[in-house]
Amino acid sequence: MNVPGAPYTSGGELAGRTTRLMLYALLAIILMSLDFRERWVDRARATAGLWVEPLVLLVEWPYQASARLGEALRSHRQLLAEARALRLDLAVVSAELMVLEELRQENAELRELLDAGQRPALGYVAAEVRRVDLNPFSHRILINRGSRDGLQPGQPVIDAHGLVGQVDEVFLHSARVILLTDPDHALPVRIERTGLRTIAYGSGLNAQMRLTDLPMNVDLQPGDVVLTSGLDGLFPAGLPVGRVDSVERPVGASFARADLRARGRPDRSRHLLVLDPIVERDEIQHPAPDPMPPEASEPDQSQSAAGDAAPADAAPSDAGGSL
Amino acid sequence: MSARDSDQVLCLLTLAVGLLLTLMPMPESLQAARPHWLALLIIYWNLEGGRLRLLGQCFALGLLLDLMTGTLLGQHALALVILCYLLERFRARIRFFPPWQQAAVVLALLLNDRIIHLWVVGLAGEGWPHWSWWLGPLVSVALWPWLFLLLDAMRRRQRVRKSS
Repeated sequence: MNVPGAPYTSGGELAGRTTRLMLYALLAIILMSLDFRERWVDRARATAGLWVEPLVLLVEWPYQASARLGEALRSHRQLLAEARALRLDLAVVSAELMVLEELRQENAELRELLDAGQRPALGYVAAEVRRVDLNPFSHRILINRGSRDGLQPGQPVIDAHGLVGQVDEVFLHSARVILLTDPDHALPVRIERTGLRTIAYGSGLNAQMRLTDLPMNVDLQPGDVVLTSGLDGLFPAGLPVGRVDSVERPVGASFARADLRARGRPDRSRHLLVLDPIVERDEIQHPAPDPMPPEASEPDQSQSAAGDAAPADAAPSDAGGSL
Repeated sequence: MSARDSDQVLCLLTLAVGLLLTLMPMPESLQAARPHWLALLIIYWNLEGGRLRLLGQCFALGLLLDLMTGTLLGQHALALVILCYLLERFRARIRFFPPWQQAAVVLALLLNDRIIHLWVVGLAGEGWPHWSWWLGPLVSVALWPWLFLLLDAMRRRQRVRKSS
């Protein structure tokens, strides 16, 4: 047993090591189950996340620097071409906005006639996806806004195409966003054509969600547009979520299932908006006095108008046009 | 004495670089095949440098990895503690294996690591991973000889510099 270089081969030592392995494994399993049930450790996790954050910033730094360098080296002609394309886009989008503005006013008048409360105005914070890869299982991304910018867990996150997810953990300069496609995520939705309300679960696959608890005789077809229902009080109603891909009615099962293709593509677009439902939903408020800054109030009124007055065609085409 | 100190610095430095490489952005298609840098470094430093031999050290590194990648707290910790235990158990034998056999052991250890992850992920109810997820250990083993040679060369150079 006196092999040089192997001082730990005696029986007692081995038994001690096995005991320690068991203890550590037990500790790990306890931690995992606590984390899974979201008890106690989440506060410790949040503080530890703050300590780890500088490392993430360090990884991202060379990418940011190279991107900035690339911008600085771009040619004059390229910039002019881009400016022209953007101006064209702006013209198209502002024309669409004009139509929507009219719809919004009409909607506000109708609501006043019906004596209904005004829809809550939405504020938003623009954010960028951090160029950091997290593990492939959790459908989560890191964005470059954090508690310093007033983010809070639970805020919805959208991109130019549709809903992406919600803020999960907030650090100082960054926040983790849980995507709709995460298996842990459930979202109350409404089928736009029929008004059917149900819940969309993440599937763990890229850009796919599932509707699992549908009645067998449900009126649902591939191509149906799915919107948020707003019933959870967290996501504003009428945000585009996705499109029904396929509907299955397995023989012998008690519920029909459907696959959804999500509209928001966080893997493609780097620019996101974190929505901020500042105004309480039951608070009656006239559209004119807006607490937002002027450049913020334009698009978010259109946002609420798009979701409100014309969920059928205006919202998706608006989102497509603003690209 | 000073040689051990400089080894210590080198060990910490490589671990920091390994952590950064773990977070490094990669194209979507290659993401699953990302080598497990931290496990490779732990295996190297355990076998050759005689460091990171305590289960507690591996546990702490695993927790750090969990925090950084946003996995369930304790998932990497469990996998790395088991890796460390197996390494310690067979250390005397692995050290004197010829290189190809050593690489086979590394592959086995990394596959075991993936199986532990799969177990945890399965219990947590997340879906079955894409098949490319199993490429990770293969890529890691392909990198193992080069990492081994690089770290050996770095340590030798440092030792020469210290002694002269």
